[in-house]
Amino acid sequence: MDILDLSIREMRQALEEGRTTPKELLEKALERAKKDDCNAFESILEKEAYEALEGLGKNSGPLYGIPYLTKDNFSVKGIETVASSNILKGYRPLYDATVTRKLKEAGAILIGQTTMDELAMGGTGMSGHLGYTYNPYDPSHKRMVGGSSSGSAAAMAEAVVPFATGSDTGDSVRRPASLAGLVGVKPTWGRISRYGLFPFAPSLDHVGYFTRYVEDAALLLGVLAGHDPHDMTSSHRPIEDYAAYLDGNIKGKTFVRILDIEESLSDKRLLEALDRLSEELIKRGAVIKKERFGKDLLESLYATYIVISCAEATSNDANLDGIKFGPYYEGKTYDEAMRKARTAGFGELIKRRFVIGSFALMKENQDVLFLRAQRNRAKVVARLNELLALGDALLIPAASGVAPEFEAGGDKLSDEYLIADNHLVLGNFGGLPSISLPLAFENGLPLGVSLTLAPFKEGEMFRLASVIEDITGLRGLSVLNRKEGNL
Amino acid sequence: MNFEAVIGLEIHVETKTKTKMFSSAPNVSLKEPNTAVTYLDMAFPGTLPTVNKEAVKNAIKVSHALHMEIDRELHFDRKNYFYSDLPKGYQITQQRRPIGSHGYLDLRTSRGLRRIGIERLHMEEDTCKQLHLSDYTLLDYNRAGVPLVEIVSYPELRTGEEARLYVEAIRNIVVYSGVSDGKMEEGSLRCDVNISLRPYGQEDFGTKVEIKNLNSLKNIEEAIEYEKKRQASLLLLGQEIAQETRRYDESRGETVLMRVKTDAVDYKYYPEANIPPIRLSEDFVKKAIEETPELYDAKLDRYVKMGIGEKEARIILLDPLFASYFEGALIKEATPKEVASFLIVEINSYLNKKNLTIGQLPLKPEAFGHIVAYGPKHGLTHQQTAKILEECLNSGISPEEAQAKLKIVALSSDEGEVKALVEEILRENPESVEAYRNGKDRALGFLVGQAMKKSHGKVNPALVSKLLQEGMK
Amino acid sequence: MKKVDLPLLRDASARLLFLMKEEEYLTLLEEFKILVKQMEKIGKIEGLEDYEPMTFPFDVAIDELREDEPAEVLAREEALENAGSTYMGQIKIAKVVG
Repeated sequence: MDILDLSIREMRQALEEGRTTPKELLEKALERAKKDDCNAFESILEKEAYEALEGLGKNSGPLYGIPYLTKDNFSVKGIETVASSNILKGYRPLYDATVTRKLKEAGAILIGQTTMDELAMGGTGMSGHLGYTYNPYDPSHKRMVGGSSSGSAAAMAEAVVPFATGSDTGDSVRRPASLAGLVGVKPTWGRISRYGLFPFAPSLDHVGYFTRYVEDAALLLGVLAGHDPHDMTSSHRPIEDYAAYLDGNIKGKTFVRILDIEESLSDKRLLEALDRLSEELIKRGAVIKKERFGKDLLESLYATYIVISCAEATSNDANLDGIKFGPYYEGKTYDEAMRKARTAGFGELIKRRFVIGSFALMKENQDVLFLRAQRNRAKVVARLNELLALGDALLIPAASGVAPEFEAGGDKLSDEYLIADNHLVLGNFGGLPSISLPLAFENGLPLGVSLTLAPFKEGEMFRLASVIEDITGLRGLSVLNRKEGNL
Repeated sequence: MNFEAVIGLEIHVETKTKTKMFSSAPNVSLKEPNTAVTYLDMAFPGTLPTVNKEAVKNAIKVSHALHMEIDRELHFDRKNYFYSDLPKGYQITQQRRPIGSHGYLDLRTSRGLRRIGIERLHMEEDTCKQLHLSDYTLLDYNRAGVPLVEIVSYPELRTGEEARLYVEAIRNIVVYSGVSDGKMEEGSLRCDVNISLRPYGQEDFGTKVEIKNLNSLKNIEEAIEYEKKRQASLLLLGQEIAQETRRYDESRGETVLMRVKTDAVDYKYYPEANIPPIRLSEDFVKKAIEETPELYDAKLDRYVKMGIGEKEARIILLDPLFASYFEGALIKEATPKEVASFLIVEINSYLNKKNLTIGQLPLKPEAFGHIVAYGPKHGLTHQQTAKILEECLNSGISPEEAQAKLKIVALSSDEGEVKALVEEILRENPESVEAYRNGKDRALGFLVGQAMKKSHGKVNPALVSKLLQEGMK
Repeated sequence: MKKVDLPLLRDASARLLFLMKEEEYLTLLEEFKILVKQMEKIGKIEGLEDYEPMTFPFDVAIDELREDEPAEVLAREEALENAGSTYMGQIKIAKVVG
């Protein structure tokens, strides 16, 4: 196994023992990045990465010398950051996102920016301005890696770096993680500062990230979490020693499975693996409960999500007009200039989303659209809390199956499959910590499972997840480090 | 048919803070364009609003002065619309829960005391400044994000006078609480008027016309009175009032059509998710209120109780710096009435002559108080004291030095000495005494003149006059 | 609720300051049919009106405000470096009327 395939802890150890250097890690990461054939990159920041390496000094931060990738919607000072949208072409932020800054301070080296669904509004990796992002597990490039954090997921599955940032408004970290055999984390709303994250829908937006090891995920939260005076919604709760939770002890812990979600799934292999996982968890002293969420409520998730997220998005993206930044267009009036910039700059999918969102906010419609969706969100969250009161974590498949083919369709609204593939949004509605991680393989393609817990229970989440990781045997997974797993 | 005007006012006040409403860029009015700007003010992606503590305190101070209920939890909303001066494409405001609600102001109008209800006071942010040139517009983001409070009255005003008094009272409150400059001409206090007419006795409101950008108290009153006449004459002709926005043309003394309102703009308000609810402690609210300096009305009362005429007191209160100078000059030895009089006449004329503001006056308020007290203490007349004051201002010397330099001699106010002189004068001028007794008041002036002449100007003329009159009774 | 038809969708996109391809309006119309139907279904979920519209998922209220201390001023060149049209230290746009 190559050094890049190790966990961050192991890399740090190798660095300390002189078995490798930050330079070597960087060279290898860049080498792998250049081999990417899945359209994972908006940019490879070779020059900047070497400069950062020079500036490292004798830093002893927890991520000293560790290369990483960032989703193209985190502000990086001086580096063109466009959220995979033409409307931001040429935009060079004047400031670092808090996440960017914290990673820099911890000694991590940014080596590139990853492709995404345009402005994070999508779940397929098909809507970015550079075209489709492919799933590395399918060399024929017929399958998606999911979105919106598509490039981060693809590059992580190619083991370019040990971690990459993402953002998660509906499931934009956790579902791609599932389709690409990765650990994907979205902590509690407010746990990680959103300052510098280009917004999609702030009431649902979360900073998240990808790793290949649960222990790396625990380590990273310790670096990224914490109150930020720039983000009033960031929590003052103390940052915990998340790694200390990884003791393997789940005796008496209760996992709650949601039957009406499982019944919506047709992938036999997935359900079978979930059953086997449950058996193993019981063997280790855990309790499994099977509950029902309520089919009506589950079927309401997608429409509720679309209405709330699109309404917020149409407002958040109203600043994109080509006047202050982004391509400027001449016009006879200011609104003609703005109209030209927005017509040329936005892709067709997100224009449709903006119209939906704006319609939902109109005075005559708010009651039956936006406010109704917000009320329903409250009802869903109340139900979630009831279920979380029954146990420690919800144990749910992270996707409906393996990565779908592009031909199965884009992000068009549909009446079908209302539950499967939409249930991860529960974690966003409730602002709850949620993780997805590899469960098993089906025809060489990964399947994933997810855990969702009560607010600020991240430590517990990593404890439970590391036991699942131990059971599945799927640690450090990538296309370069394939495993079949135990389930 | 007689019509009653129904008038509601919306007042925007730019409040004085060191930083903006939601960003830490400096809040300054006079600076080179785009030099008081940070990331949020230009709506760079990923920036987030943070609520300015001082701006909240300011809103509490004004709410309290307007007798409002103060919400102990802050909530913010977005008002969504596109305009060239709106960098984010939305404005953060308080739609659902304004910090202040249900207040009132009492006005002393020519129709008697009127209590005007105030619906709400909310915090929001200003837009960027547009400079319109011949064929293009320039945008300056210095003003973008400056804290505003908007104060919305109930439609309970009825006349231009009431509207003027209402705005004046609010201006006095924001100025004296230290919340704002309150300068209408510079736009730090802006007023929009909504006005409709209805026949007396009718409950329903007529069609509302909006008058925007009124930049002085006088214009508010005139615009409303003009608009009342305009609408009344249309109604009497049986014509409809169009729902429109007008502005006041000062030179013509008329309101002029700006634009006809088509369907009302839908601002698609919804809660701002980037600002969590903020709980205000009782202590915080109490402190903000206690920190509020003495307001206009309280000062007015106090000055009048000191023996100053209401008219003079209002002159002093025209400018809070003037009032604070006045209060600084009130030393024990000086009577408030004298201090007020010297301030209003002598100091004012000096400032006018030199084209200075009160802040630039080369005389500390306390030193001024001493000069005012110096005259009576040394038997000098008002005019003599005024000369000394002028010299002190011009040369920066002490009143003693000024008196010596000007060779001003105290006039005798020794009653015995003056009485002897007066008796002498009365004896020597029987015709004048006779004339005075026959009602020729002018004779008194002649007699005073004789006394001054005889004493070589060394007696107090006021005392002479008094004793002469007594002697001729 | 407003009736959703093509003119309304065209008007809505115009108000959002962008134009869409003709076939996109048709796609959108289809999407609206689905969305409206689903939202109507949600409206029939029992007890929905008992819930307050939710923006924040749990109690996130705070009791602190930003201190009023200036920081973070941009140099003018910096502030304007991403703008496509500037003149004399300001952003220049077509003349705004009214």
